[in-house]
Amino acid sequence: MSEHQQIMKEVPQPVPKGRLRRAQSSRSLWADGLRRLRRHKLAMVCSAVIVLYFLLAGSIHLAELCGWRVGPMLWAEQVGQSYEPPSSTNLLGTDIFGQSVLRKTLYGAKISITVVLCASLVSIAIGVPLGAVAGYFRGFVDEIIVWIYSTLSSIPYILLILAFAVVLRDKSLLGYKLTGITAVYLAIGLTSWVGICRLIRGEVIKHKDREYVLAAMSYGCSRRRIIFKHLLPNVFHLVIIDFSLRFVAFIHAEVILSFLGLGEADRPSWGAMINDARIELSRGVWWQMVAATAAIFLLSLALNIFGDALRDSLDPKLTNDQNKYE
Amino acid sequence: MLVSMLAIEARNSFFLASSLQLPASIRVSRTTNVLLHFHFSSLRQMNFALKFATLEISRRAIRLAKKKGRFLTGLISVVFTTSLLIVAGCDGSASVEEPNEMVLRHVLYTRIKGLDPGNMRDVYSVIVGSQIFESLYQYHFLKRPYELVPLLAEDMPQISEDLLTYTIRIKKGVYFQDDRCFTGGKGRELKAEDFVFSLKRVADIKYLSQNWSIFDNKIVGLDEFREYTKNCSSAEDVDYSRQVEGLTAPDDYTLVIKLKKPPQDGQAHWPQLCTALADISTAPVAKEAVDYYGKDIISHPVGTGPFKLNVWRRGSYIELVRNPAFRGELYPSEGEDGDAEAGYLDDAGKPIPFADRVLWTIINERQPAWLLFLQGKVDATVIPKDSFDEVMTGTGELTPEMKQRNIRLKTFRDPSTYWVGFNMADDVLSRNKPLRRAISYAIDREKFIELFFNNRHLVAHGLIPPVMPSYNPGIKEKGYTRYDPEKAKELLKEAEKIHGGTLPRLKIAMPGTDTWYRQFGQFLKRNLDTVGLEVEMQYMDRPTYQERVNTKSAQMFSSGTSASIPDAQDFLSMFYSKYQTPGRNKFNYSNPDFDRLYEKAQVLPDSGERRRLYQRMELIALEDCPAALLNHRVAYVLHHDWYKNYKQHAFAYGLSKYRRIDMAKRTAYKN
Repeated sequence: MSEHQQIMKEVPQPVPKGRLRRAQSSRSLWADGLRRLRRHKLAMVCSAVIVLYFLLAGSIHLAELCGWRVGPMLWAEQVGQSYEPPSSTNLLGTDIFGQSVLRKTLYGAKISITVVLCASLVSIAIGVPLGAVAGYFRGFVDEIIVWIYSTLSSIPYILLILAFAVVLRDKSLLGYKLTGITAVYLAIGLTSWVGICRLIRGEVIKHKDREYVLAAMSYGCSRRRIIFKHLLPNVFHLVIIDFSLRFVAFIHAEVILSFLGLGEADRPSWGAMINDARIELSRGVWWQMVAATAAIFLLSLALNIFGDALRDSLDPKLTNDQNKYE
Repeated sequence: MLVSMLAIEARNSFFLASSLQLPASIRVSRTTNVLLHFHFSSLRQMNFALKFATLEISRRAIRLAKKKGRFLTGLISVVFTTSLLIVAGCDGSASVEEPNEMVLRHVLYTRIKGLDPGNMRDVYSVIVGSQIFESLYQYHFLKRPYELVPLLAEDMPQISEDLLTYTIRIKKGVYFQDDRCFTGGKGRELKAEDFVFSLKRVADIKYLSQNWSIFDNKIVGLDEFREYTKNCSSAEDVDYSRQVEGLTAPDDYTLVIKLKKPPQDGQAHWPQLCTALADISTAPVAKEAVDYYGKDIISHPVGTGPFKLNVWRRGSYIELVRNPAFRGELYPSEGEDGDAEAGYLDDAGKPIPFADRVLWTIINERQPAWLLFLQGKVDATVIPKDSFDEVMTGTGELTPEMKQRNIRLKTFRDPSTYWVGFNMADDVLSRNKPLRRAISYAIDREKFIELFFNNRHLVAHGLIPPVMPSYNPGIKEKGYTRYDPEKAKELLKEAEKIHGGTLPRLKIAMPGTDTWYRQFGQFLKRNLDTVGLEVEMQYMDRPTYQERVNTKSAQMFSSGTSASIPDAQDFLSMFYSKYQTPGRNKFNYSNPDFDRLYEKAQVLPDSGERRRLYQRMELIALEDCPAALLNHRVAYVLHHDWYKNYKQHAFAYGLSKYRRIDMAKRTAYKN
């Protein structure tokens, strides 16, 4: 019995009549998961929030490309005196140079989300193939890879990121100069692939002896085909779940790096805003801190809830509450 | 603090005992892990963590020994770990204070390097060392403008007609502190020969003194002595009895210093000899101490001053105690106007030092130091930038809370100037004076001081700060640093013509990456954006910054300097063409007129003529605009009202002898 069928057996079948036929017809793991996810109201609200954030970041990128001068793009404009508290004209007050904190916060979404996406891609690109190869081949290859990631994970995470960010700063890679923000997402990506690598390795080891892999082997498929065509698609939902949960950690890493002065120097980011606020708080200027943390809080919360729901619906065996989705 | 330390100690012994009684090894190691985690929160507590680690190791060793029967191995491990445990147990807790002792309590923000005056350059070592060692002259504690008065010398030097020979009489009855390097452990009397020895020691190349540049090419025969030491095979081989013509002691209480004749380009004559003789690098050290302690002398200072070293725990604290062999000195009985009202003359004519002990706690972070100050455990402090609003109201007064705590505020004009410098070796900037001036006009200095220094600092209208004797009161009217964006825009058009096209994006190097520098950088960028000039801020750590500036590869850079002597030389030598990078002239500025005046002024004693030359040089430099001057710093310090005679001094460090504590007020302080 394939794993999929096993899952289907464990999950209680839907009761409503209209959907009976659809339920009985075979659904892919993904369609099944999405169907379950769609019933989770809170998760859908969260996904809307996430989409909004992404749209915001995307439109800022677009506006920058096209040179539009609207909304958050005008963050550098002086809209009032320095350190004006929130009022009806400046909803979230102003910073040291009289810039609108609201605009800075919106603009900050671009930096954070870009960093997170790029860093995730880097870490997935490293972690997933390494994990799959280690899990499939075992033996010497496995030992080397495990040794590498064990070593890497034994170094405190923040120190490692800092070291990478410092080393990568102002270096050039393939003729492209790594400025502040590029160095940041490379640093985060290069240091954070251990978790996903471990996860995929474990899962591949588990799947290796399953019937569908044995079947592929008996057909004489090449190893590459088995790993990338058969094994990876069956464990890839883990990558998505991991990504959605790790998203928050990446945002925090960006914030911490900016806070330590290694991030974006000239343009606003949430980390830089919090860093500024550290000094300003003692003079009673709380609005920059509140604006940046609220932005991070909302996105983190949405991502966490959505990530949990996604995990539960894609991997129902893991759920804490079996009856939650049916 | 001591009490809390004891509490931690007690708690730890409890845990030690309890973990010994736990039989299951897993439970013990879990406890240990938790404890390790818990205790790593502070460096001092790492010590305790070490204890647990050693305990864990020794316990495992015993177990191993029992199991495997390797008794000897087990025994050795136990002995080893027990000794580790003992070592870990030795931690630097401060000695207990007597109730009626007068103790000055200060904070040092970094650990000090060493207490050997011949090789002392970092300011924190100088602060501590100046209480132990004395030089021939010192600055008058109260009088302003700053004035030199004799300290180890009997009087001011007799200077020959040709201004080249200085005859200095030395005080009788000055004794080195008691130390085991002297026969019988009793300090001997100070002789003129000690000064000769100490100066030769600075010249000795085997000693590698950082202070040699002060004496380079100035005293007859001293450079030859340095050459001679180059040929010695080791430090022990250097013969200090070798004669140096310009450095002699005709008798025990007379020192004669001969200066080199000024050659054609006027580079050697040295009117500032007396200020150099007030520097701690010229303080006498006893040959006995140098021989006895060898390289260890940096931690065994043997001086003539009012205090001597008692305890020095590197990275933790330094404690000096009153030197019983000190000859005695009296508190000055005259000062500048207003000193009597400020209470600085209350102790006039009394014997100093007042304090029995001086204690410096080494604390790297400003915030904990500030909290110690509020608790009354430190006498004085600077105001941490972040706590400014807690301390001061918008009108520049102390907040009611501070007043209620009887905390006093002192402002003090630091002889310093800060600027954005232009690298005159850069192609774009060097041949484009309108561009440089446009940048200078584009910066709103008043706004800068308002935003970044809470309106505390002064706008720099010229190079020489207002506290210096050669300050030009009319410099503001010249308008070199006025804020005039319209003029800047006009000049930029001119600059583009000279450049022959659009100006490239200019780069400004900032010596830091933290919030302060980032905001400062944004401020400059915004100012220059307003007049239509594009700049890129480059934030870097200080070593990178220094390397860029010193290799002439920084286009523009933010920096500043403060005077080390009450003479504008420190500001003007930065523009002398012979001192180009890696020397002091980071601007790589060169102007023959300026150089000529500089050489002329260098050989003049401090006089009206010298000051006039300084002012002319300042105008030449400002006209060429090698820097956009920004501000002069004004320092704000706070102290508790029990801390008496706390008058700020820009150049002197050995001031602990004047300070006094009002013991009743200190005892009454409640935090």
